[in-house]
Amino acid sequence: ADIISTVEFNYTGDLLATGDKGGRVVIFQREQETKSRPLSRGEYNVYSTFQSHEPEFDYLKSLEIEEKINKIRWLPQQNAAHFLLSTNDKTIKLWKISERDKRAEGYNLKDEDGRLREPFRVTELRVPTLKPMDLMVEASPRRTFANAHTYHINSISVNSDYATYLSADDLRINLWHLEVTNRSFNIVDIKPANMEELTEVITAAEFHPHHCNTFVYSSSKGTIRLCDMRSSALCDQHSKFFEEPEDPSSRSFFSEIISSISDVKFSHSGRYMMTRDYLSVKVWDLNMESRPVETYQVHEYLRSKLCSLYENDCIFDKFECCWNGSDSTIMTGSYNNFFRTFERNAHRDTTLEASRESSKPRAILKPRKVCTTGKRKKDEITVDSLDFNKKILHTAWHPTENIIAVAATNNLYLFQEKVN
Amino acid sequence: MLGKGGKRKFDEHEDGLEGKVVSPTDGPSKVSYTLQRQTIFNISLMKLYNHRPLTEPSLQKTVLINNMLRRIQEELKQEGSLRPMFVATSQPADPLSDTFREAQPPFGHLAPPGLLPAELVSTMPLESCLTPASLLEDDTFCTSPAAQHDGATKPPPAALQPVKDSFSSALDEIEELCPAPTSAEAVAAEPAAHDSKAQPSESDVHKPEGLPESRTAEPKLMEPLPGNFEITASTGFLTDLTLDDILFADIDTSMYDFDPCTSAAGAASKMAPVSADELLKTLAPYSSQPVTPNQPFKMDLTELDHIMEVLVGS
Repeated sequence: ADIISTVEFNYTGDLLATGDKGGRVVIFQREQETKSRPLSRGEYNVYSTFQSHEPEFDYLKSLEIEEKINKIRWLPQQNAAHFLLSTNDKTIKLWKISERDKRAEGYNLKDEDGRLREPFRVTELRVPTLKPMDLMVEASPRRTFANAHTYHINSISVNSDYATYLSADDLRINLWHLEVTNRSFNIVDIKPANMEELTEVITAAEFHPHHCNTFVYSSSKGTIRLCDMRSSALCDQHSKFFEEPEDPSSRSFFSEIISSISDVKFSHSGRYMMTRDYLSVKVWDLNMESRPVETYQVHEYLRSKLCSLYENDCIFDKFECCWNGSDSTIMTGSYNNFFRTFERNAHRDTTLEASRESSKPRAILKPRKVCTTGKRKKDEITVDSLDFNKKILHTAWHPTENIIAVAATNNLYLFQEKVN
Repeated sequence: MLGKGGKRKFDEHEDGLEGKVVSPTDGPSKVSYTLQRQTIFNISLMKLYNHRPLTEPSLQKTVLINNMLRRIQEELKQEGSLRPMFVATSQPADPLSDTFREAQPPFGHLAPPGLLPAELVSTMPLESCLTPASLLEDDTFCTSPAAQHDGATKPPPAALQPVKDSFSSALDEIEELCPAPTSAEAVAAEPAAHDSKAQPSESDVHKPEGLPESRTAEPKLMEPLPGNFEITASTGFLTDLTLDDILFADIDTSMYDFDPCTSAAGAASKMAPVSADELLKTLAPYSSQPVTPNQPFKMDLTELDHIMEVLVGS
């Protein structure tokens, strides 16, 4: 199994897609409740597996283009088939996943095994009939959106009009129509005329869930810009600019790096957005640009370790974050296979671990705690014993129920709220 | 830090650095602040030049590291401690731009590659050619300047501070000998920098494999200097070559005997203005070794020993 690089539920939550470093997409489907297997309610089993992207070689630059899937985004379902967009660093693909449970029998010109029938054997005309067969799930690429990004794509986001989507790389954001592959519109371009003056890159972008003209993009300097596509064709001028003033008392060499936003997500309501930087998660009210309305510390105990984390590159890890269906709780990952949930109204936060030892089926996860003071209590983990190779970067929350998917390196964990 | 209890010593060292409430103005803690800044500067450089991937490096990471280097440079400039010889010119002149552009003029990149001795010198708040002996005495880590001028004594090992002091005092000696070139160099650097800015950044030549590359739309031009690369790779140090070329490139070199220093560097030891490419090549083999952060300091101590002997010997 390869390292999982993205996790995404579809709009109903029945399907869960994961992309990995090897360019594969694995889709899980939730088992339907059946009387014969009551305990399997909520279980996700493999539904389809396909190779989405292959490694490529850029001959001009003499560099490999990784096949790692950076993001998967589902399209809302409009017919029996399912559609999703998957992207690597350079190319976005639209995949159609469809089921086939019938096959035609009784062809006139072909035998059942596909061989052509001898013409003299065809004595009568018959109409092929449909017979049931074992369910087969097929994935086929329907569109390939290529050659529009010079830099590495970090985000894709489907618009609420269900007809367009955006793709963002380090310096540009492009707008596509799902039906058109040979043309895309550039809507944000922050590339300076002189590349030596480059000090800021785009780190994430997302369309507003309800307003199809609005999108946001975050930067490596900890700022978020909200843009309105009605104002101009090129949205280099933002409509709103969100930035929290720096706290002078916590200034360090690494202030800029830890302020770099690794993920931005609108709430389902569309009223708020959440940003993840290295040490914290912030909830912003779209109506207030001056500072976030809520800030949650994910692993503040790492603040004194920033130099080491800079040295071993962990400070550049890009953690994602997600909302639950009702926007009451937010979740994000940390190190040592820990992930954190923050209940906004109850002001309660929990640290849980995604590991084989603590995840026996049906077992309840025990809350974990990282010891930040000198005295270590029983079951607490000290900061120095955290495993920084076990990082949870990708998490997803079911759109309506309390089911979460947590990717821990090359393992996928699914947790569910215990229902009595 | 990565494993269970691994690297504890270094971790403590780092914690010690970071735990201090540092501000550039405090006396003794200024040392730890500058030490931390130096460490971060070196780590940043290693990150930029140590990257040898098959795929393009992350532009975000490159930009963030570059910003870090720039910020440290700015601080050093503001502290006014950079000698004119090493002052970064008006252009950003950072590793990021080095890889974007063609070969640069000599002084455009002096400060950013941040050769240790230059950095060490720059952390001393100096007036332009005054011997910082008084400052050296104030510094708790320093050894007596007089002893260092003997040349036979080696600087005490371990900490950066004594190395810095001995080297900076040696540098002062040289400056006293030839004050003119410093101002000339500073003047020469300015127009050179402006010229280099006008140079186009696009080209189609592939760079030699293994060198760091920042992501741009345009491929970069790197002058192939395979001879230089191999030779410096064999020495595996942040070489004498680099130090010599940077420090003494425009000084009247007839006074010094550089043969022992530069023999290891071979063909590239010509006293010509160093291009960005040569610098990159000298740095690349340095970083090809799996060095821990403590190693560079030890390596440079040996280097500086060597130079000290040469300087004082002449």
